[in-house]
This record gives sequence, structure tokens and C-alpha cells, in this order.
Amino acid sequence: MAEDLVLDTAIRDWVLIPLSVVMVLIGILRYFVSKLMRSSPTPDAKMVKEGQVIIRARSLKFGANFIPPRSFRTRRSYFSNEENGLLHVPKGEGSNPQAQMFSDPNMAMDMMKKNLSMIIPQTLTFAFVNFFFSGFVAAKIPFPLTQRFRSMLQNGIDLSTVDVSYVSSRSWYFLNLFGLRGLFSLILGDENAIDDTQRMMQMGGFGFDASKSLSAEKDGLDILQHEWALPRFEQRAESVLRKLVK
Amino acid sequence: MVTKTEETQLNELENQVENGGGGVWEYLCLVRKLKVRRSEIVLKHGLSILNDPGKRSALGPDEWTLYEQVAIAAMDCQSLAVAQNCIKVLQKKFPESKRVGKQEALLLEAKGMWEEAEKAYTSLLEDNPLDQVIHKRKVAMAKSQGKPSLAIEHLNKYLEVFMADHDAWRELAEIYVSLQMYKQAAFCYEELILTQPTLPLYHLAYADVLYTIGGLENLVAARKYYAATIDLTGGKSTRALLGICLCGSAIAQLSKGRNKEDKDMAAPELQSLAATALEKEYKQKAPAKLNLLTSALRSLKIS
Repeated sequence: MAEDLVLDTAIRDWVLIPLSVVMVLIGILRYFVSKLMRSSPTPDAKMVKEGQVIIRARSLKFGANFIPPRSFRTRRSYFSNEENGLLHVPKGEGSNPQAQMFSDPNMAMDMMKKNLSMIIPQTLTFAFVNFFFSGFVAAKIPFPLTQRFRSMLQNGIDLSTVDVSYVSSRSWYFLNLFGLRGLFSLILGDENAIDDTQRMMQMGGFGFDASKSLSAEKDGLDILQHEWALPRFEQRAESVLRKLVK
Repeated sequence: MVTKTEETQLNELENQVENGGGGVWEYLCLVRKLKVRRSEIVLKHGLSILNDPGKRSALGPDEWTLYEQVAIAAMDCQSLAVAQNCIKVLQKKFPESKRVGKQEALLLEAKGMWEEAEKAYTSLLEDNPLDQVIHKRKVAMAKSQGKPSLAIEHLNKYLEVFMADHDAWRELAEIYVSLQMYKQAAFCYEELILTQPTLPLYHLAYADVLYTIGGLENLVAARKYYAATIDLTGGKSTRALLGICLCGSAIAQLSKGRNKEDKDMAAPELQSLAATALEKEYKQKAPAKLNLLTSALRSLKIS
């Protein structure tokens, strides 16, 4: 059914634009509040060391073929030695990140703050949209959609015959939710352009789980076969020089 | 490391600034970003901006960064009064600031008041035990007081935590070489090669150290690393070419009594090619010294 509904321009003036403006303002407000509330992260010495160990182990893996075999073996045993190797995580201690999360009050507070600062504005805005802007068709999406989206996009509209391309303002809210990243990067400077989607992804990834990366690096090193690349260099140097001398 | 485009850009700006053109602020920002050490120019032009209240207020909040930059440049050029003034201004604006505290400690160091500076750095470290810059300043202090062993101790402690900092490894390697602790220096250079295997500088330095330690195995390895340097620089490294000739003759000397098949002759012509390339280069660049070179090479081949 492709009837063309004519939408009042007043809808655009009083619904779409104010809603976008409100969301942008809330984003900016949230940015400043988070800046104020953010406790400067005191990096734990152990975590810094683990991070650096991982970097060093990784570069060992990549550059292994450039150093003599003896040095490589020394380094590898330094890293993966069973008793006191740097990468070796004893079985019991393999830290359970969840437990650590809750036992460390600082981190728990941080996590809570971050979650709250995201959930509350979202909930409020959603309620706001539902209260003020429901019950009418807000916009028309330029491309056709299937019927499955009806329940999501046409929430306030109780007519089942209306084309799915005509959506309610709730979908405009969702569109803004996911799309304002570009605008934030303009306004707040390029580094602060996280919008809600990225924040939601950040919510999932709990702290830096070092023990898993350590054991991953250790396995990577253990299976590495050392093949000294330097003898090849001698021949290459020969050919380079031959070309030079000619 | 500064890339080539950045270097040309820097030089252009520098010429422009020195010859009275504008662009002083861009130059200062670039110097700050690239962390190069151009203290005289920074001092001269930075001061001219700071002393002119109109230009100074035009900078806005960057004014304080400029004060910091000029203070460091002044200390580098030993204009301690200028540095003191800048730091006083910063102190007035940001009392209790760790960053300004670092500047003060740096000034104490520049004046040569080692104990006070040491105390200042230690107290700063208590507040912030993971500050890399302060650790490095302590090492630099130990080095400038002529206590390389103390510097080594500090550096080792630093590297236990921050083991991915390749500038620190490089510094440690150079200190070891200056103290003739070649085996440790070799270890450091291996670390550097691991992090940046395509940089010929580290291969060359490693080869030098291996050659200095001596012994047949090390000489063979040194030869390989000289070859790697030649490959990475396209044959332009004179030092590597000479290194190959020297290695070749040293190996020949050491293995006189042994079996010829033991020698790793993967590239038998390398030595003669290196000699020819050297002669060609000397002919181009320093023809007066060509005789010296040919006689030296001849003596190497004979022995």
C-alpha cells in the first residue's frame, strides 16, 4: 500500500528538531559531568608492569628471527619459566576479573558511576519522548522496510495498515541515539566523540584482563620456532654491493 | 623519531622564523610536538612573544605551555634568571601543581644543586611513583654527576617496570658501552633490534659491540649484522663496509688452524665486494685519503 501521507511541517518544527537539539544538549551535559566526576585513574604499578611485559613479549615474538638463537632462547625461558617467568600465571591465582571488580571498591565505584551516567539520561530521554511525542506519525523513512519493524518503529501508531516507512518519534530517538557521534566529534573535539553505542560496548568490557593476555603471549612464545634470518642477510648484502659496485 | 617530512617542515619553519618572517607560534608548537632540542631559537623567539603583552594575551590558555617551554629552553641555554622568572609566573598561577614542581626540580638540577634536586624528585616520586619523566631525570642527574654505575642502577629499576621503553634501553646500552661492559650492552642492543628490526642503526651498534667482544662465534655474528646493515641502508654505510672487511680479516686470523669448512661461507665474495665498494666511495668523497684506505685494506687481506 503506497498511499502518500502528507505530514504537517509543524511536526518537523516541533518534534524532530527539538528532539535532536535536546539529545545533543544532553550529550554535551553528560560529557562535562563525566569530566568533573572522573577520578584520575591511579594506575597500579602491577598493571603497568604487566602491560609493558606484554608489549615486550609481543615484540620478542615478532623480532625473534633477528637475534641470535641463544639470546632468543634465554629470553624465552626468562618469560615462560615455570617458576618465576614473567608470563607465567600460576593456576590458582589466575585472577577472576569479576571478583577483583567487586573487591576493589574504587573500581566498583567507577563502574557504577559510568553505568549510571549512561542509564539515567537514556531512561529519562526515552520517557520524555514517550510522554510528549507519542501517538502520531513523525517521519517517513526513504527506503522500504519489512513488516517486522512495525512493532519497533510504529509504537504509538495503532493502525496496522499504515506503511512501515512512516515511523513514530521513538524511532527518531533511536536514530539520534546511534547517529550523533559525528556531531559530537565536531563540537567536543575529535577525541570525545563517543556516543551511546560505544559507551554501551565499553560497559561490557570489564577492566583489563591481564592474566589471559599473559598466558596467550606465553603460548605464542612457546610454539615459536626460531629461524635465524641473518645468514640470508649476508647474501642480500652481497647482491646489494654487487649492484653498487658495477 | 622524527620523520623526513616533519624534519623538512621544521627546517623550513626555522628558516622562516630566523629571517624575520612570521610563524613563530607554529614553529614552537612543532618543536614541542616533535620533542626536538632547539633551545636557543625557542628561547629567543619564545621570550619575544612572552615579553610582548599583546601577543601573550593572544595565546590564551596556551600561554602557560609556552612559559613551560621557554623555561626548559632557558635552562638548556643556562639563562637561569629567565628560567626562574618563568617558573615564578607559573607558580603564581598554579600553586601546588606537580607539573610546576617538576620544573622547579629541573631548575635546581640546572643550578647544580644536586642534593636539593634529588630530594625534590624523591618527594615528587612519592606522590606519583609511576611518573616516567621523573625517573628519567634521576638517571640523567646521576649521569651528569659522573656516577654511571648509579645511573645504571636507576635505569635497571626503571626498566623492570617499564620494559617496553626503547629509549631507555638505548640509553642503558650507551652507558654500558662507555663503561666497557660489552656483554650487557649486547643484551640491550638485542632488545632494541627486537622492537625495531628494520632500523640499521641498532644492527650496526650491535655488530660493533659483538666485534669488540671478540671470539670466533661473535665475529661471525658481527659479520652477519654488518651485512644486515648494508642491506638495510642499500650499501651506503661506510662503517658497515669497513666492519665487514675487519671482521673478515679477524675471522681469517682466528681460524687459521681450523678447518676451512667450519667457516660459514654463505657469502664468500662479501669481503672483496665490500672493499671495492669502499674504494669507490672514497674515490667519490675523499680522494685524498684513498691511498690510506688501499694500503689499510691490503694489510688486512695479507694478514
